[in-house]
Parts: sequence; C-alpha cells; structure tokens
Amino acid sequence: MKNGMVILAGGIGKRMNKPIPKQFLILAGKPIIVHVLEKVEQLTDVERVVITCPAEYVAQTQTLLEHRNLAGRFCCIEGGQTRQESVYKGMLELGECENVVIHEAVRPFVTVAEFRVLIDSEYDNVIYGSRIPFTVLAGHEYVEDTLERSRLVNVQLPQKFNAGQLKAAHDSARAEGRDDFTEDASLLFHYQRSQIRILEGSERNIKITEPTDLIIGEAIYNEYILGRAQD
Amino acid sequence: MKTCIITGASQGIGRAAAVRLSQEPDIQNFVLLARSASGLEGTVAEMNREGKNIKALPTDLSDIDAIEPLIKAVYEEFGSIDLLLNIAGYAEPAALLDTTNDNIRTTYFINVFATVVITRECVKYMRNHPSKILNVASTAGVTPRPGWLAYASSKAAMVSMGETLTQELAEYGIKVYTISPGRCATELRRKLAPEEDPTTIMQPEHVADVIATLIHDDETCLDGQNLVVRQLPAPKK
Repeated sequence: MKNGMVILAGGIGKRMNKPIPKQFLILAGKPIIVHVLEKVEQLTDVERVVITCPAEYVAQTQTLLEHRNLAGRFCCIEGGQTRQESVYKGMLELGECENVVIHEAVRPFVTVAEFRVLIDSEYDNVIYGSRIPFTVLAGHEYVEDTLERSRLVNVQLPQKFNAGQLKAAHDSARAEGRDDFTEDASLLFHYQRSQIRILEGSERNIKITEPTDLIIGEAIYNEYILGRAQD
Repeated sequence: MKTCIITGASQGIGRAAAVRLSQEPDIQNFVLLARSASGLEGTVAEMNREGKNIKALPTDLSDIDAIEPLIKAVYEEFGSIDLLLNIAGYAEPAALLDTTNDNIRTTYFINVFATVVITRECVKYMRNHPSKILNVASTAGVTPRPGWLAYASSKAAMVSMGETLTQELAEYGIKVYTISPGRCATELRRKLAPEEDPTTIMQPEHVADVIATLIHDDETCLDGQNLVVRQLPAPKK
C-alpha cells in the first residue's frame, strides 16, 4: 500500500466541559469529525484510513461511517493511553505502507488541497507550520527564559511521514519507555534526525479545543466553506 | 444525464411535474413513486417517453423501512440521483377533537417521516455532486387552518425541514427548495371542496411549470425560502 492515514479522535470532552467528546459536537450541522471524513473521502489514493478513539466511542464512530457509506476504506479502532500510543496503534492497524498521513478529528477545516500537497510532495516527511504571531516565554510561575519567536513554528496537522521511518522512531521511543511525545515530527526528528520539510500552514485550519473555537468555527465555515458571510 | 425521483407521481401536482419534466432533455431517468399502480400507469402514458427510462414503482411510503433498499436499488440501476421531488401528501381534515390517532399517524408518516427518510437516503448518493431537492408543502403550513391540524402542522414541518436542509446541505452543492401551493385543482382539492369549480383555480400544470423552473440548472438564487405558489382569482367584472 502506498498511502495510509491515521485520524486521531482521542478526545473525551474534558476541556470543552461537555458530556461527549469534542469530535462528536455539532459544528455547522454535523459532527466535527465528519467534516474531516468528508475531505478524506475525496482522497481516493489513500487506500486505508484508521481512526483511533476511546473504546467507548468506537461503535458510535463506526455508525457515522456507515451512515455515509464510508465503512469500506475507513475503520475505527480503540486508541492508546496517550496520543503517541494512538498513532502507534493506528500504524500497526494500517499495516505495511509507504507513507502515513496523520490528522486530527478536531481540525475540521483542513482542505482536500492541503492533503493533496502533502501526499504529492517530493519530500518523505512533510508537515504544516505557521508563524507564531505572539510572544512565547519559557517558565511556569516565573519567567525562566525568553524564546526567539522567529525560530519557532506553530505545528499544524495534517502531516505526512515515511511510514518506515516513523515506525522505527516510535519503536525507539517505546524501547526507552517514553510516551510523552505530543506530536510526530518532534518524535521522528528526535530519534531519526530525519529531514522534515515545513510548509506554510493556513490560519483557518484551527483545532477545535475550547468552547470559543466552536463559535470561531461557525464563522470560518460560513465564510470559507460556504463562501457567504451573513447577509 | 440526470435521474429524477418523484413521489406522489400518480396524480395531481406529482403527475403534472412528471409530465412537464419529461420534456426536459437533460433528465433521462425517472423514478415515479406512489401507491396507485393504475395512477402511475396513467402518468407514464402522458409523459414524453422518447429516450427516457421511466420506472413506475407502486410504493407505500408510509413503510419507511422499505425506503433505504428502494433508493439504493435506484442508485445501483441508474448510477446517480440528481433530483428528488417530494410531492406525495396525505390530508384528512378534522377538528382537534375528531383527529384520530390513525389520522395523525398516517398524515405524519406520509408528509413528514417518509420525506425525511427518502431525503436522507438520496443525500447519501447526492452529496458528491450538485443536486436539487424540492419539497411541496402548502399554504396550510404557514397560515392557521382550524380543522386541518394534522395536515397543516405536517406541512409546517416540511417548511422548517426545507429551511434547515438548505443550510445543512449547502456544502455539498445540494439545493433545497420548498414550494407552498395555494388552492390547486387536484383530486385532493376536489374531495375537500366539492362545490368549487376546479377551472377557476390554479391547475397542477401551473405548479409543475414553477417546479421545472426551480430545478433547472439555471436557477441558482432561490433555494432556502418557502415559495408560495398561488394564482389570484380573475377580477370580477
């Protein structure tokens, strides 16, 4: 298989303060994860798509797939205890593939074109990142250090990696007992020192995390997806 | 070439719409649904059949569980579903205290539940290409009609459904229209107002012309609103 994809849907709704995980919250008329699935559906050269989510939401996710006639190429499995473990389990479920694309269920405004650029990229490992428009400091209760903003990148998903290299990096992390990587470019770079190309991300590809993001999301949907501001 | 599904196609506005749309060169496949096999045969007989595939399927839409396999079979046979006209309707006017459970059940099953289910099933196959859905509600759905509770409230539900689906399906390029005909010389109207001269009111063909205009590719601006279709009586001299 040339291209596989892992979609991370591990949320449990804690930060949203809602009884259901945020990927199932309705945004612009449908569950947030469905926005993503409908984009991925159009990527016909992604041969298999594995969604990882908490065990208690596997059936609900599977039902969403069935309602949209997606159940063939897409499947849903129980994720891991950490994001890192969920990616690993997703890759195992995908099996042998050349490239693995990783995305999050709660970034609904990714475009088909953004996926295409990654998949068609000549680079094995390629991610999206955007400039950081605000000052970032190191520290918790007190400032411990300053960071040079111009050297930093706000990492966005989706990302594409050479599946063999990423699997090897995950194996190394597991061998060391590390499970604290919150993103895969950092994990791959840490263990493999692989060259990872950074492409300019988009402002609208936001991650729905806090309740305010739902309000912003509705505005983005109206303006960019439907192409109509409120009359 | 387009595939068009029409419910309630055995008489009245449904029949007139089928006949009118059979003149459209870009609609090749027609699926006509209604309970009455003989009524459907009559519709087919009036349609332009040249170069058209017309499938008349006697169907009881109140059996909503049968809709999913029906629509799947249509898609598998024709390869696309492009137009859905929800025209089937049921009316049994009665005052609240005379409205039986059977009346409210049948009215809602035909006018609301079947419309939701057939729309849901069609959208599964429509959502990857520009398509159109048109629902026939009624002026009874937007004005108070004492003595018509079940029918009027079910038509109000159709108006609401159209407004919601217009927004929900916009991303897929699916346009949703709702029209609310006023007095129209259908078999149903004849039953409800037997004393009325049907030649003095709007004809089903007038409504069919409006439907043809709306579902034409050139129409791009009118979805989302409930369009009242009525013919004012000729001025008295």
